[in-house]
Amino acid sequence: MNDPLVIFDLLLGGAIIALAIASLTVRDLFAAVVLFIIFGLLSALAWVRLSAPDVALAEAAIGTGVTGALLLKTLHHLRFVTGTLGHQSALSVTPHTPVPSGVIWANAAFCGLITLGLAVAFLGAPQAGPGFDALVSEAMPASGVEHPVTAILLNFRAYDTLMEVVVLLAAVIAVWQIERGLSDAPAPVMGEVWQGFARLVLPAIVVVGTYLLWAGAEAPGGAFQGGAVLAAVGLLLLLTRAYVPRPGHRGIARCAFVLGTVVFAAVALLVASGGRVAFEYPADHAKALILLIEGLVTISIAATLAALFHGREPVALRNKEDRNDT
Amino acid sequence: MMTIDPVTLAIFLPLFGAVAAFVAPRAAALIGLGTLALTAAAVGLLARDVIATGAVIVPLGGWGAPLGIELRADGLSVAMLVLSVAVGFLVSLSALDALKGPANARQRQYFWPLWLLLLTGMNGVYLSSDIFNLYVMIEIIALAAVGLTVLTGTRAAVRAGLDYMYASILGALLFLMGVGFIYLQLGRLDFAGLMDAEPTGALFAAVALMLVGLALKTALFPLHFWLPAAHANATAPASALLSGLVVKAALYIVLRLSQYMPFPSESLLTLIGVMGAGAVIWGGIQALRAERLKLLVAWSTVTQIGLIFVAFARAGEAGLTESWKAAALLILAHGVAKAAMFLAVGRIKDEVGHDTIRDLDRAPVRPTLAQFTFALAAISLIGLPPSLGFIGKWSLMEGAMAAGYWHWIAVTMIGTLMSVAYFSRVFAGFLRFDRVRGTVAEHQGWAVADAAPLALAAMAIALGLMAAPILNFIEIGYPFGEAK
Amino acid sequence: MTPDLIYGLTGIAVFAIGLVGALCAQDRLRRVLALKLCSVGAGFLLVVGAWRTPPMAPDPVPHALVITGIVVMVSATAVALALIRRLQTLESSDDDD
Repeated sequence: MNDPLVIFDLLLGGAIIALAIASLTVRDLFAAVVLFIIFGLLSALAWVRLSAPDVALAEAAIGTGVTGALLLKTLHHLRFVTGTLGHQSALSVTPHTPVPSGVIWANAAFCGLITLGLAVAFLGAPQAGPGFDALVSEAMPASGVEHPVTAILLNFRAYDTLMEVVVLLAAVIAVWQIERGLSDAPAPVMGEVWQGFARLVLPAIVVVGTYLLWAGAEAPGGAFQGGAVLAAVGLLLLLTRAYVPRPGHRGIARCAFVLGTVVFAAVALLVASGGRVAFEYPADHAKALILLIEGLVTISIAATLAALFHGREPVALRNKEDRNDT
Repeated sequence: MMTIDPVTLAIFLPLFGAVAAFVAPRAAALIGLGTLALTAAAVGLLARDVIATGAVIVPLGGWGAPLGIELRADGLSVAMLVLSVAVGFLVSLSALDALKGPANARQRQYFWPLWLLLLTGMNGVYLSSDIFNLYVMIEIIALAAVGLTVLTGTRAAVRAGLDYMYASILGALLFLMGVGFIYLQLGRLDFAGLMDAEPTGALFAAVALMLVGLALKTALFPLHFWLPAAHANATAPASALLSGLVVKAALYIVLRLSQYMPFPSESLLTLIGVMGAGAVIWGGIQALRAERLKLLVAWSTVTQIGLIFVAFARAGEAGLTESWKAAALLILAHGVAKAAMFLAVGRIKDEVGHDTIRDLDRAPVRPTLAQFTFALAAISLIGLPPSLGFIGKWSLMEGAMAAGYWHWIAVTMIGTLMSVAYFSRVFAGFLRFDRVRGTVAEHQGWAVADAAPLALAAMAIALGLMAAPILNFIEIGYPFGEAK
Repeated sequence: MTPDLIYGLTGIAVFAIGLVGALCAQDRLRRVLALKLCSVGAGFLLVVGAWRTPPMAPDPVPHALVITGIVVMVSATAVALALIRRLQTLESSDDDD
């Protein structure tokens, strides 16, 4: 191993740990979220160092990007409802009884012991040890795509991926259910520069998102990363109020959310015939089916992530029942 | 022509049902009941196959483990499927009544897709044989279950739902960390790969992480803090599903892990038993002190979960090959009886107008049939013969006696006495009439809404008579790898 | 010192920091942050497990698992945050009463 890279790794690892601690201890919540976003991006960088570019892309786009947007939106909402929108260092919750520092230290010591145990277990485990390497490279030619991660997500372990899309669906149903009739905090004023920026950047994002999806067959990228980037388009449209969800759009939105799940599950079942089981794509159609699934799943992911950001189900607030709900 | 095996259908049918119920909210109830009927048919076919040929394995995608994911149905998994579908169907019937009327339109609209997603997740857990897949499935369960918890939208429910969500996420992440350690050590994630593994430090860490995560998800004392509020503040059908079925998914995974993982040590098992004993006693005390009926029933869930873990640990490491059966019996018994009890409590609350225990005897309205259902369910939960709960407790104590572990018998006895005590508080409210001012109005005839909980409670008793066939059934395909 | 060792221990540390935060954080939003830290820590462990000494390519299966984990986590986070927003709204309207 060459030394400069080891030093880089050590510095990066140290920075990641420091940011993790800082994001939990800094007083200002806004700063905490920002530190968390930097933490996420540095983690993605570390994963690039570990030659996991797909994971790094997903973490940057979804784990940090979408999550960061969700956190900031929630922070904005909390400050709005508690009337502390203008205060820089306002906390989102009125603190209950403060936790005695003894409890905190006891917990920290407890977690320290766990860390120590986990670290020992980790050091005792085989390094660069057994894995699926041989199995994957053996099965790759039959998978229909060239990129191993895509092959795993959409073929070898496609069932997991279907269920992951179902998790997203469950989340959006739950969020709509939870936030029914909740009035929105006014969107922050973005200013003209922002509007212009959004207009400039939107087409570029669409291109990047589509490229990521398309590249997934051969190179790092794929449905989830592409979907997240396309969801950013939705976020921008929502933030700039270029698109305002209306009650009449609910039907279409529902269809967009379930599209990926339905097509994925339907294809999985339809290929099961003549001795084949679910998800067993016929060899000559594997690539076409995988691309079809990926494309439609991307649309669902983009729509779902944007809806998770938007939160409420768009309902007419004139409706009496909704007002009672609020 | 398409030929889809019932294993796959048991997961995909509720999934399609959930999607349909979400897209067409007006027809949601109809879709929900139809889906449950179809799923029940698939589970029936699967049960027939399992009885005929032993464990059924479906290698999804045709890859086979360890590269692909395999679905595996054996006696225990089919028993759990039957539990979730049968209890689910009856709870659904009573949900038709509990969520009727324009005031509940929104609850109704969201109840069905969330419940069907929950069923998808639970069936997925019972058929899974891959630990990472289990992680994804328990997350589906968590999101759907939290959605059901906060269906009423009251402040107490949302607060409980948020605590439930934190506990669920943390539990799932601990489980995921365990998955990571298993991968580090073994390089594979399927159950078959875990079977012959040598116990090492990494595997010990994995088992510990996964057990703590699952204990959090199934609310084993002292990680039960989220359960009582969540189950007590949900709407009655949701409470029945949460208490009767949802906590069983994590319990089931514990049973499975004990079958497949090299269980590290006797002391870990003892620790699990002690935690279970803590749940039995602490939950009993809280149930005795509870002011509201729903809260009492929720605390009783905490004690029952503790009891299941005691059953699991009753005869130590050597007896584990038998102990899981006692635990499984108690899981089934509690699933049926607790769903019946929560539905009955919902009916009582609807008729009487409140569920404050000490004022039950002031109520001039006495919903006789719901009270009777409550009593039947209590018989199984207390463990009186001939209920399934009795058989479960009996086999717990039998195993403990054989192993000479008298302390577990003492714990079970204390738990039984406490449950008699706290349920008696409720019975006193049902049976006393001297504090009623005015005339006592008996229940207005036989309400249809009482049919489903009554059927469940009757099942809880009657299944006790079928304990021997049930025991034979859950043994099919055990131990793993015997029947392919 | 190889990258997998360094980042493996980093991941475990991050997981533990998240665990402390999840147990001790008073603030609801910060508790979500802490849980997200835990998930990144678990992701580190799997990515590290996949690493092979170059020029060998890493094992792609854990990569796929971590991507799944990230998507699952964002879903759970969204639901938790929606609950927080709802709860805060309910609580502040109660204060007004």
